[in-house]
Amino acid sequence: MTGHERAGAFAAALPGASLTSSFGQLTVDVPADAWLDALRRARDDFRLGYFDWLSAYEDTDSVLVVVCHLVALEPVEHLLVRTRVDSEPPSLPSAVSVFRGADWHEREAAEMFGLTFTGHPAPGPLLLPAGFEGHPLRKGFVLAARVARPWPGAKEPGESGSAVRRRRALPPGVPAPGRWGPADPDGGQP
Amino acid sequence: MTVPSPPPAGSRGAIALLAESCTSCMLCARECPDWCIEIDSHTENEPAAGRRPRTRHVLDRFAIDYALCMYCGICIDVCPFDALSWSPELVDPAAGVAGLILERDQLGAFVTGS
Amino acid sequence: MTVDLESPTVGPYRGTVSLDDVRLRVWTYDVGLACCAVEVMAAVLPRLGAAQPVAPLAASPREADVLVVSGTLTDVFAPILRRLLDQLPGRPYVISFGACADSGGPYWDSYSVTKGVDQLVPVDLYVPGCPPRPQALIAALQVVADGLPR
Repeated sequence: MTGHERAGAFAAALPGASLTSSFGQLTVDVPADAWLDALRRARDDFRLGYFDWLSAYEDTDSVLVVVCHLVALEPVEHLLVRTRVDSEPPSLPSAVSVFRGADWHEREAAEMFGLTFTGHPAPGPLLLPAGFEGHPLRKGFVLAARVARPWPGAKEPGESGSAVRRRRALPPGVPAPGRWGPADPDGGQP
Repeated sequence: MTVPSPPPAGSRGAIALLAESCTSCMLCARECPDWCIEIDSHTENEPAAGRRPRTRHVLDRFAIDYALCMYCGICIDVCPFDALSWSPELVDPAAGVAGLILERDQLGAFVTGS
Repeated sequence: MTVDLESPTVGPYRGTVSLDDVRLRVWTYDVGLACCAVEVMAAVLPRLGAAQPVAPLAASPREADVLVVSGTLTDVFAPILRRLLDQLPGRPYVISFGACADSGGPYWDSYSVTKGVDQLVPVDLYVPGCPPRPQALIAALQVVADGLPR
């Protein structure tokens, strides 16, 4: 069967799963409570035994989505298995029991997004230094350097130096002064 | 610093500024991902007989901090007046990081071609 | 090799450097952190058909005249670089190679990047570029070979 047929059969075998295709990449969305079952079925019944990577992203409604890239070998077929993590605080069963290689991938996703993978054999930060606060890849994480550094583009044409007449424009990624950072960003200067 | 052998066509060396074409529109400074372009300008009024004066933006300072520049070329792509362009010459190394901030005249020296 | 210098010592300097038979006696050790290291390799490894490298490579940082820090310095790696430099008996020249080593470069706003090697160690020469061409490293080593003041 072709990769598309295999993915379709996989999606049909799981209740609540759906298959989408985008630019030649097949993705099967599964419910979060069927996550481990889906990975196990993919590995055992559908030849998707090569674990490539597992990662996460934050959707536009601030819900975390965990994605796992599995590959069937000989012939090579790719499939993304995806689930939305609706629980609060966000947690998902650890895939290490199905794919040992998911170990470090889950540690990285956990520290970057604030996810908890229950049942992970050795949880803990992978890349971030000890004492790092926050989850850097979440959209709400503010890059302090962009707030602290004056943006050259804040000036209007015809302005120079500190002679800023109008309300300062904010660069992308910098929240309004009252929402993040020091209460008075100009330090009391007029 | 000139490159010894002729670089391939389209080589990205330094970014050159043709100051006469710049209208201080600030687009390059706003689009630069590294925030490495600093522009200062002021407004001048040109009186016109019987009409309201016409305003003109005059460029005072145009500086590129080459310690930050990642040579992406977004500033060149976005300039509506083609004031910025690639030069095959390379930017000289400097003993202090402030020596990598090149001002308008130095950027003008990189301008090549017609 | 033809070298035509207007002001040979303190940078910035303008001149032409021909790569074909440059033999620099500046022992170089590359602290290769990221992509700029590939350009350093292209600069110092033997040219096609040449028997010797363009600039001799020091076997360890202790024997180096020049340390070339090429690539992005992350906050996690910074203590290791500091420890490397603290272990050296002398103080070699430090060349900051590429935008990331100069100032953080394209990652200046990152949560994990040190904004320039000079946050950690005194830098003697800054080479701009992302990445700088191999000719830029040769020119930088030439500046050091000519007696760059500290």
